[in-house]
Amino acid sequence: MGGPISDVIQLVHAPAGCAWYTWGTRRHLSDFYPWATPTRLTNVAFNRRYCMCTDMQEKDVVFGGMKKLEQACLEAIRLFPEAKGLIIFTTCTTGLIGDDVQAIARQVEKKTGKLIFTSESPGCSGVSQSRGHHDFNTQFYRQIRQLRERRPELKMSEEEKTPYDICLIGEYNMDWDLKIVRPLFEKIGVRIAAVFSGNERIENLVKMPDVKLNVVHCQRSAEYIAHMIKDGFNIPFIRVSLFGINQTAEALRKTAAFFGLEERAEKVIAGEMKRVEKSLAFYREKLKGKRVAIYVGGPRVWHWIKLMEELGMTVVAVACTFAHEDDYEKINARAPEGMLVIDNPNEFEIEEMLKIEKPDLFLTGLKEKYIARKMGIPTVNSHSYEKGPYAGFAGMVNFARDIYQALYAPVWKYQWGIDGAPAKDEEEGSCS
Amino acid sequence: MQLKEIPVTGIPYDQIKIEKVPAAPEYCERPAELIPSANRAVVINPNRTCMPLGAMWAVLGVRKAIPFVQGAQGCTTYVRYTFCRIFKEPAVIATASFHEDAAVFGGRRNLVEGIRNLVVRYWPELVGVVTTCSSEIIGDDMVSFIKMARANLRKEIGPEKADQIPIVLVNTPSFAGSHVEGYDRASRAFVETLATTKGEPNGKVNIIPGLFYPGDIREIKHLLRHMGVEAIVLFDISDTLDAPLEPPTSVPYYPPGGTAVGEIRDMANSLATFALQPHAGQAGARYLERKYGVRAVVGPPPVGVQGTDAFLKALREITGKPIPESLLQERGRLVDSLADTLHHTMMKKVAVMGDPDIVLGVTRFVLEMGMEPVALAGGTASKTFVHDVEAILAEAGYEGEPPLIINGGDLFEFEEYLKKQPRLDLIIGNSRAVDISRELQVPLVRVGFPIYDRFGYQKRPIVGYRGGEMLLAEIVNSMLDYQYPDDRTQQL
Repeated sequence: MGGPISDVIQLVHAPAGCAWYTWGTRRHLSDFYPWATPTRLTNVAFNRRYCMCTDMQEKDVVFGGMKKLEQACLEAIRLFPEAKGLIIFTTCTTGLIGDDVQAIARQVEKKTGKLIFTSESPGCSGVSQSRGHHDFNTQFYRQIRQLRERRPELKMSEEEKTPYDICLIGEYNMDWDLKIVRPLFEKIGVRIAAVFSGNERIENLVKMPDVKLNVVHCQRSAEYIAHMIKDGFNIPFIRVSLFGINQTAEALRKTAAFFGLEERAEKVIAGEMKRVEKSLAFYREKLKGKRVAIYVGGPRVWHWIKLMEELGMTVVAVACTFAHEDDYEKINARAPEGMLVIDNPNEFEIEEMLKIEKPDLFLTGLKEKYIARKMGIPTVNSHSYEKGPYAGFAGMVNFARDIYQALYAPVWKYQWGIDGAPAKDEEEGSCS
Repeated sequence: MQLKEIPVTGIPYDQIKIEKVPAAPEYCERPAELIPSANRAVVINPNRTCMPLGAMWAVLGVRKAIPFVQGAQGCTTYVRYTFCRIFKEPAVIATASFHEDAAVFGGRRNLVEGIRNLVVRYWPELVGVVTTCSSEIIGDDMVSFIKMARANLRKEIGPEKADQIPIVLVNTPSFAGSHVEGYDRASRAFVETLATTKGEPNGKVNIIPGLFYPGDIREIKHLLRHMGVEAIVLFDISDTLDAPLEPPTSVPYYPPGGTAVGEIRDMANSLATFALQPHAGQAGARYLERKYGVRAVVGPPPVGVQGTDAFLKALREITGKPIPESLLQERGRLVDSLADTLHHTMMKKVAVMGDPDIVLGVTRFVLEMGMEPVALAGGTASKTFVHDVEAILAEAGYEGEPPLIINGGDLFEFEEYLKKQPRLDLIIGNSRAVDISRELQVPLVRVGFPIYDRFGYQKRPIVGYRGGEMLLAEIVNSMLDYQYPDDRTQQL
């Protein structure tokens, strides 16, 4: 959740490995670039260019890591004065030894004047990354609230406010989804004052409670903060999906309806449909009747069931890593007859699912796509995308293209070995 | 997105080109005293990852073996993720999935039930239990937990079946070392647990390759085949992490290959153990030497002319077998290539980063090419690294500016040092050096762990004479691609 924030130092209070794995991994891209040399900006943006940690050693574990943490924060801020703030993330190691990172954050803030946040969510404290999402939401909300009381000048000024301010919540700018999504909202006449948290500056996030409406895209990882802002500041929120033609149109309509901008929304939707209809018609023809299995975190399952239908495909099986009850309600509401649903499957269950359902395509992340490929089933990376952006109208063409490429690659013809595919009944026999 | 119509090929990349927003009006000079990693508490861009990864890497090189990670899910997920990114292969790793109750009451139940579930579903030939920071801090008594798991298994599936599945424990608290040490510890844990009976001499040699890739292990096997030497390769990832796509067969999927448990047991009966990467595998080799008198040959990494020479000479000495003409010809071809390219390698300024053994092997090779090392960054701190680098420089008769040697440090120190150098022609290292090479506008030749941003490096050897030829070609061609005018390359 914190990683996409573009202008803060992300400091992992842990042994080096914990930080190393998050470094340049997920494609939450940003446009905030420090100078690498006097004449050249860095190769990738700040939030994915540097990976900082306290590199906890045995002696730190025994004697506590607070001193080291404070020193590390102060050094990081001295080394990167262009950063506007810093987030301290704890992990199993520092959570278990019980370092008081909030105290350190307050001290560092006092000494440096930067915006210092903490995110305490050790891996061993919960079931999955979903717990981490929840922790970040509640802790971040609490901290911006306190910060606004402490430093009221950080609130949005009256001059900056417009009657059409929204905050887009649960959008992480995977592969520059925002490059597609932002203009859609701007064209209907609303202003995205903040995005939680894709490519967003920390100062804008402090102003989240100053908007008129929150628009929630990822309703698993970030709806919590929309609820809290609603309770605390009386700002309503709406739930949307920005994947697929109908869902994106619906999202724009819902947002427009709140502000009375319906006419402009219809114009934008009609224009966008026109831009993509020819390409999508090509893909609908190529993809119709294909059977799809989906295994992602949670919400994308129900975001994408409808999208697959728009492309003429049928979802035959879905599985989620960290979906909650409300996700399953949404999945069930969208499920075609006979669709298999699995909660948090292990690799074995995934294999069985693929073997039994024999989908033509498996939408899944990096870790599962290779097992599917070994079974001869095409995949599309559904976490960080193959070649995104995938969101919105235009992104849908990219998505359809990557699906088409996966399905129609000549490679699948050669998987049966030197003598070609076995006769149909033989094939059945070999799998039983 | 100003396109009137989105073409069938999707949004062209130039349409999503991002305007870079400068974080500051101008370049911020980083405070000089905070550049050396020894002067600061914050680590920036670590040149190493966590200890459990090395142990999991090792277990995945054993036939039909599954690592079982005693920790939270992330410790497994991130490592699987890393392996998938590098090898483009599935990596099945089980997790004890610690939640709050495990953190409070310990991970006994997680291990006992977890191993039970793993065995009855997957029927692995071996389980490698890998500990993590959390289980080590909580203080899980892993030896007795594993005994309980074994007793529980015997009850459920019968003693005969249960006892056929060895459970090997590797203790890997990440705050005590890096992935290199995790592999090293695994090498010892496996021979200590399994190679317990001294039987008939088997006439074989043991090879512990260290964190070399499938392509490297295949090349080592090629050398052994030509030498006529039989070997036990412990942890043989050459097939398990580079498997063919074949018609689907049964569930669950096991990749082909890997070191069989019986072979590991037999390692006590071998002529010698070669630890090709001294920092990753030496512990196993030394244990076999101490306990069973199996001679340990530790390093040097068989990279370049002298590295490969040393490996083959040691093999010749130990097995009494001559080095065949076929391999001498391979050597001759590598030497020939060095002669053919010397005008493009001599006096070139090079920086090398990565795991210490990769840096040592590659540094020796680039010195054979007449290059001049500017900075050498070994990510895992080691007692021997600085001494080894100095010995290699002395052996080569290197008389240029002494390079910066970073023993452990981080990549921020490495890159800030390089930015201050008047000249640099090349960086050799892993994918973590991509940004540095782009910003300094020098080519990067990819070697070592991890390489995730390009395809095929895990299949292409850098070891042996043939691997050396390939690496040399890559080095020369990268520099030519990057900086040499095309009107002069008609006669290299």
